[in-house]
Order: sequence, then structure tokens, then C-alpha cells
Amino acid sequence: MYRFGLVLAVLMAFSLSGLAEETIRFGAIYPLTGPIADTGQRCKWAVETALEIINNPHPEIDLPLAASAGLPNLGGAKMVAVFADHKANPELGKAEAERLITEENVVALVGCYNSAVTKPASYVAERYGIPFVCGASSSAALTERGLKYFFRIAVTDAMDAKHFFECLNELKEVKGYEIETFAVVYENTEFGQHAAEQTRYWGEHFGYKCVADVPYPFGATDVTSEVLRLKAANPDVVFHATLLSDYILFVRTYKELNYVPKAVFSFCGGFQDPKSIERLGADANYFCGSQIMPPELIPKIPVLNKVNELYKERAGADIDGVTLEIFEAVIVLADAINRAGTTDPEAVVEALRATNIVTDLNIGGGIRFDEKGQNILAKAAVTQVIDGEYRTVLPLSVATTEMIWPIPPWNER
Amino acid sequence: MIAYLPQALVSGFLMGLIYSLVSVGLTIIWGVMDIINFAHGDFLMLAMFIAFWFYTLFGFDPLVSIPLAAIGIFLLASITYRLLIKRILKESLLTTLLATFGLALFLRNSAQFLWRADYRTILNPVLQGSFSVAGIYVSIPKLVGALISVITVTLVYVFMKKTRIGRAIQAVSMDREAALLMGINADRIYNITFGIGGACVGIAGALLANFYPVSPQAGIFFVIIAFTCVALGGFGSILGSLIAGVIIGIVESVGGVLIGPAFKYAIGFLIYLLVVLIRPKGLFGW
Repeated sequence: MYRFGLVLAVLMAFSLSGLAEETIRFGAIYPLTGPIADTGQRCKWAVETALEIINNPHPEIDLPLAASAGLPNLGGAKMVAVFADHKANPELGKAEAERLITEENVVALVGCYNSAVTKPASYVAERYGIPFVCGASSSAALTERGLKYFFRIAVTDAMDAKHFFECLNELKEVKGYEIETFAVVYENTEFGQHAAEQTRYWGEHFGYKCVADVPYPFGATDVTSEVLRLKAANPDVVFHATLLSDYILFVRTYKELNYVPKAVFSFCGGFQDPKSIERLGADANYFCGSQIMPPELIPKIPVLNKVNELYKERAGADIDGVTLEIFEAVIVLADAINRAGTTDPEAVVEALRATNIVTDLNIGGGIRFDEKGQNILAKAAVTQVIDGEYRTVLPLSVATTEMIWPIPPWNER
Repeated sequence: MIAYLPQALVSGFLMGLIYSLVSVGLTIIWGVMDIINFAHGDFLMLAMFIAFWFYTLFGFDPLVSIPLAAIGIFLLASITYRLLIKRILKESLLTTLLATFGLALFLRNSAQFLWRADYRTILNPVLQGSFSVAGIYVSIPKLVGALISVITVTLVYVFMKKTRIGRAIQAVSMDREAALLMGINADRIYNITFGIGGACVGIAGALLANFYPVSPQAGIFFVIIAFTCVALGGFGSILGSLIAGVIIGIVESVGGVLIGPAFKYAIGFLIYLLVVLIRPKGLFGW
């Protein structure tokens, strides 16, 4: 009986390993619980949408691997995500990366949304020589570390900062607006400080003058003094690196003190979350920010529309910039493994480096990495909230709506 | 910059009075029972949610929800006392500290589980907007909030000084044994004290919901400020926390304008440190 059991166990082990060869397991680390569980859940839906397209035939979608079922160069192997939760905690993200690599034997990692978590988690991947494809972390520092196994899809805050000023140049030259000074308001965190640094750098580079530099504590109880500083400095344009709760507080304080500059531009953060419009109502109007995929484009771009349908089935809401980047990270990874024809990390990294996806899915027109692993085609448009909807207003080449300039004063709305 | 000092002063004064109301609840519990209630900020958060849900589900304005939030948090505090605090009153300070800290985590995470980590707002409260007097903008929700804070703090003060129960509370806080000998039911007094502390923060929560985003994390920063006010004003002193709240509010906004917003909380904490060094019992402590 004992022998029979042993034989059975060996047989089962063989059959299981046989099955394992047909699936390719990669780790997906996101904040599935904790303070930003909402976002984490959206990340998970985005990964699942990508897997749906990769593992099942979707000839109607114009994306790599959509037409076939699984990865054709690996005998139709299916991609499987092993999810892990980092609760927005860098320590936990690092531990989970380690666990996924050593215990779950994943061939690659995707994640982690928060730049602060992506940083340590990708160091772990680098140490084990496992490819890491990052979707939506925007801290430019991530791709400045000389890592060999790290690739990032998202637009960085540095790219956003440069782009904002290029747009201002365009407004000056084409529309003849007078824009000379700016101020930057930012939360006192890695994200905020870095965005502010880039804003000051590019502002001065393009000949604008920074008249106020206003850091504030994340989660502040009151931002009156911050807004009064802006009011005193009276800049033409204010840049914001602010997450949702503080964004709501700032807009309400602007209104309370009857203050608006000519324009407000937001980095990745509270502005991009469609909830900001819902939460602020009409007060959300006329503020601007960068957006890699303005929602109004969804019905206009066939491939985006189809991906959105599959995403919406799961999430019950439209895909947005962040989730699109996370979706793309999985497609990029699967595409690289397929082209490599193996899950050997060195070959996959080589293939990732050679990635050249041409698609209308994002306004940059595709995905291609530089030697640092940054997606050089990443690009954002500037949207303005007009009548409670995000409208693409800059750069003028992709604008769908005339930008409202300057922002009308609160008491004249 | 100087031109905006009057504005900073007015805004800071109004916000400071709201800090006072949050602190008063904390200080009476601390003064009477010697308990540091770490869950105080989460009581505040729950009060904000009471106002939010009554607005969203039934269309009650936060002004209408003030008594509801006060009663709701009074009951919650009273239940907390019966189920938790009563059992650990005689234990060491660390035990009570950890117990209320645990309660805080439980409440915050339950709120997150039930209502998600989302930030919500009350979109069109009766109290909104601002008016301008001599170039100074006065926020209507903050002005009314400050007025209600003053009224509430005054009522609590009068209650403590003039009513039988209030005097009993003072008696228990001064000498529990002697009060017991005089036939005062200390258990009941503690229960009421904890409840009143809860009701104060309940009112503050409903007032804040008018202009501050509601989320499970909302109470954290406010309670840190409240701890500072309580220590600054003197443990157990109602008048002390009223004045300390105003000091912190003004220092925060004037300091933020003059020195820089990044330092605004640091300045408040610095003043607190100085007071504690020079006068450890706080401004009005005994």
C-alpha cells in the first residue's frame, strides 16, 4: 500500500509538472488592501483584462498576442498571474517580491503602483535576475538607478514637467497669452518633492520665473496658509503635486479665499481620479492636469474601446490612465516572453529591450524602451475639466476643445 | 506677505476653535479618568461618516446631523466604556494606552472595510462659500463651526461647574476614594464623562464634514493636534483646551504664511514643547 502511494505521488508530481510547463507564472504585486485598496483592485482588474486578451483568441483586438490563445512561440502556453498584496507598504512589497520569486517561482514581476514600493521590490527582482515590468509608478528616479532588469511604461513626473512648459510655450506663441511666473505646490513626499524639483528645473530652463515654492504636509488639516502664500506671490500658473484628499481641500480653500491663478496644472494624483470631479462638483471645473489617456478618447479609438469593454465587464467603470499602463505592462511582458520563446530571464530581458509595440492604445503611439528601461514613447495630454468632463486642451495638435483661459474668478461663475 | 496676516489670523482663529472642540472631549476624559483615549480621532472620523451617510442616504444637512452625531458618538463612547475601559481602569497606564490604541485600529479598519478607503465629500451643504469683510474672506462653514464650538464648550463648562452631575464628575476627578465615600457612583460618572467626551467630538465631526473630505483616515491628523492642545492647555482643563486650540490654530496659519507652510505644524509643536518644559502641567492645568 505504501509503495502504491509512493508511485501515485510520483505520477501526480509528474503530471503536475507537465501541466506547469503549459502555464507561465508571473508575480503581480499591488495594494489590494490598505489605504489605497480601491486603486489596488483596479490594478488587479487591469491585469485580468490583459490575461483575458493574451490567453483567449481575440482577433478583433489589434494588439500583440490578442489573435492567438496563449503564447504561440511557447506552444500556446497560458500566462497566469500570482497576485500579492503590499498594502502600500514598501517593506511588505519587498518581502512579497522575495516570496514570489523564491517560493512561487515566478518568471517575472509586474507592479507595484506606488513608486515607493516599486523601488525596493524591483531591487529584489534585480538581485535575483528576474525581469520587472512596472506599469504606473511615475517617480523618474526609478529608471535612473542603472537597473538591468527593470522596465517602466508610465510617463514620469520629469516628462510631465517638461511637457507642461512646452504647452505653456505653445499658449504664449500661438494664443499670445502672457505667462511669465509660476508657483509649485506639493506634498512633502518623494513624489511631491521630485515633481517640484522637475518643475523648477524645466520652468527655469524655458525662461519662466518661480515665484513661490509651497510644500505642505500630506493629509493636512487645513491649507489656508498655503493658499495665502500663493495669493501673495500671485503667479500666472500654479503646478500641483497633490493626491486626492488634499486636492479636494485645496480646491475648496481656493474657493473660500476667492483665489485662482490663470491656470492650475496637476501632476499625476488627485486631479486624474474621476472621483475628484464627483467629489467637488462644479468646483472641479477649469482645473488642468496631465492624462495619458483622456476618457473622451475611448469611443474614438477602436482598440482602446475594445479593451475598455473587457475591462468594464470586470470593473464596472471605464479604464483610466493608470489602469491602462498596468494593462500594457502585462501585454509587454507576454510579448517579450513570446518573442524570446523561453522564460529564461536573460532572453526575456533581451526581448523586453527590443520591444517595439505600435498601437493606438496610448497617445504616444506605442511602447519602446531606452537603455535605462524607460518607455520613450510615453506621452500625456493636458486635460481641463469643463462642465464636469475631462476635455483634451493641450498640446494644441491633439486638443478636442478650446482651453478656457484664464480660469474665471469664483464669484463670477 | 504682511498684507495677508489679518486673513491668516481670522482663518486660524476659526479653525482653532474647531480644534478646541475636538480637544475638549479628550481633555475631560483625560482629566477625570486618567485615560488617554487614542480612539478619539476615530470617534471624530465616525462622526464625520454619520454626517456623510445621513446626507447621502436621507438628504439631512450636516447641521441637522449635529445632534445625531453627538448622540451617536455619546452612545458609542458609553458602550466603549462599558465593554472595554471599565475592565482596564485599574490596570497600568500602558494597558489603557494599548487598549484604546487597539480600539482605534479596529474602528479605522472597520470603517475602511465597510466604506472603503475612499475620500468623500458633502457636495452641497447649507453652510458653504465665504463672504468678505474689508478684504478678509470668512468661510461660512468655519464661522458657524467656530460659533457652535464655543457654544458647546461653554455648555460643557457650565455643566461641569453648575450641575450636580458636573460637580460629581469634578469630585471623582479630584479624589475618587473620597467621592465614593460621599455616595457618588464613580462608575456611572466615568460612563457619563466618557460619553460627554464622545459627544463633543461627535459635534466636531459633523461640523468638519461640511468642508473636510470624509475618509477612514480623516481623524489621524486632528487627534495629534488635539493631543497637543490638551497638553498645552493643561490636562483636564476645559478653558485650557479652548485657548490652546485657538493658539495652535493661529500659530499654524500665521506661522505658515510668515515662515512657510512646511513648518506650520512644527511651530505648533515647538510651542507645545516650550510650554511643557517651562510649565509641565500646561497653561491652565492644576
